[in-house]
Amino acid sequence: MADGAHRRCVISGLGCVSAAGHGVAALWTKVRAGESAVKPLCLPRLEHQQVKTAAHFPGFDAASCLDKPLADSTDRFTQFALLAAAEAIGQAQAQAPLVFGDRMGVIIGSGIGGAVTSDDQHYKFYVAKTRTDPMTIPRVMPNAAASHISMRYGATGPCFAVSSACSSASQAIGLGLQMLRARLIDTCIVGGSEALLAPAFFRAWESLRVMTSTLCRPFSRNRNGMVLGEGAGVLVIEAEDACLARGAQPLALLAGYGTSSDAQDIVRPDAEGAARSMALALSDAGLEPHEVDYVNAHGTGTILNDSCESAALTKVFGPGLPGIAVSSTKPIHGHTLGAAGAIELIVAICALREQLAPPTINWLEADPSCIADPVPNAARPRSIAAALSNSFAFGGINACLAVTAYA
Amino acid sequence: MLQPGTQQAIDQSQLDKLLDLIAKEGMVDRAKLSMDATMESLGLKSSDLLIVLMAVEEQFGVYIPVDDSLSDARTLGDLVNALAGHLPHG
Repeated sequence: MADGAHRRCVISGLGCVSAAGHGVAALWTKVRAGESAVKPLCLPRLEHQQVKTAAHFPGFDAASCLDKPLADSTDRFTQFALLAAAEAIGQAQAQAPLVFGDRMGVIIGSGIGGAVTSDDQHYKFYVAKTRTDPMTIPRVMPNAAASHISMRYGATGPCFAVSSACSSASQAIGLGLQMLRARLIDTCIVGGSEALLAPAFFRAWESLRVMTSTLCRPFSRNRNGMVLGEGAGVLVIEAEDACLARGAQPLALLAGYGTSSDAQDIVRPDAEGAARSMALALSDAGLEPHEVDYVNAHGTGTILNDSCESAALTKVFGPGLPGIAVSSTKPIHGHTLGAAGAIELIVAICALREQLAPPTINWLEADPSCIADPVPNAARPRSIAAALSNSFAFGGINACLAVTAYA
Repeated sequence: MLQPGTQQAIDQSQLDKLLDLIAKEGMVDRAKLSMDATMESLGLKSSDLLIVLMAVEEQFGVYIPVDDSLSDARTLGDLVNALAGHLPHG
């Protein structure tokens, strides 16, 4: 579709909570330096914990940054989202106030929702036989994050969660873009949040055998799995006309979105579907493959994802692929599942704004089934005018977002 | 029956335990477990292998992420060799 056919949409605020701590700056500092935020993890109530690390935020204290009643009545995933939203909205309003109300939507993805609450309350019910929290359901529901953001800021337009595993946030952002273009709203608070480092959920991930017990090393020979993370990424996206009318300067253009379903296997990825989502995002953004400078890959570090994603990248970019910087930052901030698409889009925007391709750390040597040069181990300065962020989920759901420099 | 000469870094008692587990958890006739049998011919799908891995973990107290050797395993011999590297020695 020609670029001119769309109402252009921009990004005016970024916010993040991750294993790197509060804020986009904390995340980007780690990412650009190639320093991992993965730490030892020792969960309660989990005998024989086999995988002993995750990219988590052990010192996170909701009560120190949210009103006590709000901190007391929300799950960790909602708290992450509220803090990320506060940062994003703060940045968007630094130059001029946002217009809240009916023309502002909130779409926040989450793969699971209130996993920590769910785990704690199930333990009380089945094992401890103690009183359970009467507000368990409103804490656990996947739309809790979106609803609390809507309530906090008086955003009274469309408000909902997207739940599509690891593509949740990318689809939430993509849907927000489509709603802005359709003129249903003028501003949207979009992103994703996930906090599922709770014993039974962690055990369930161990059982899938996709987590590494050593180091996550995407696209490398001898990789053997991903590292789980937690956090939230939230962006303020606006119609360009609305942003300029209120007197604010955009950070970047949210140029395109593509999504597809493999319709194949519930856990096994498919290169065809992944390639289709990238091609759709490029087409939607009015970009030719050769115009892309950086791709923040899904790059989980599992055998299958990385070889499949490499095949998909080759299919889309062909012989031009070696000229594009492709990296996975998941060994730094972990695989944050339903938040991944937002956190990684934020990384791609930082890369675009700083003209620096972040590294794939822990990389040892090339694997013949993978891209040969995933910006291994050290960031690389380069000109970046257009970037993609990939998310490929269990369930065969693929989503790709394109951002370009605002001009 | 096992083929003679199959290379395994695994002692006979561990191998027997492993084959018992694969037969039980994968619901495969123990007599059909020859090292050159393909997963396909044994009817072992990826979800069956996850159950087998879980049972191996319970039995041997190890964690086995899916790496190249497991991912590439096409025959029972490949699987046994891939698992052998994760089992405690002795």
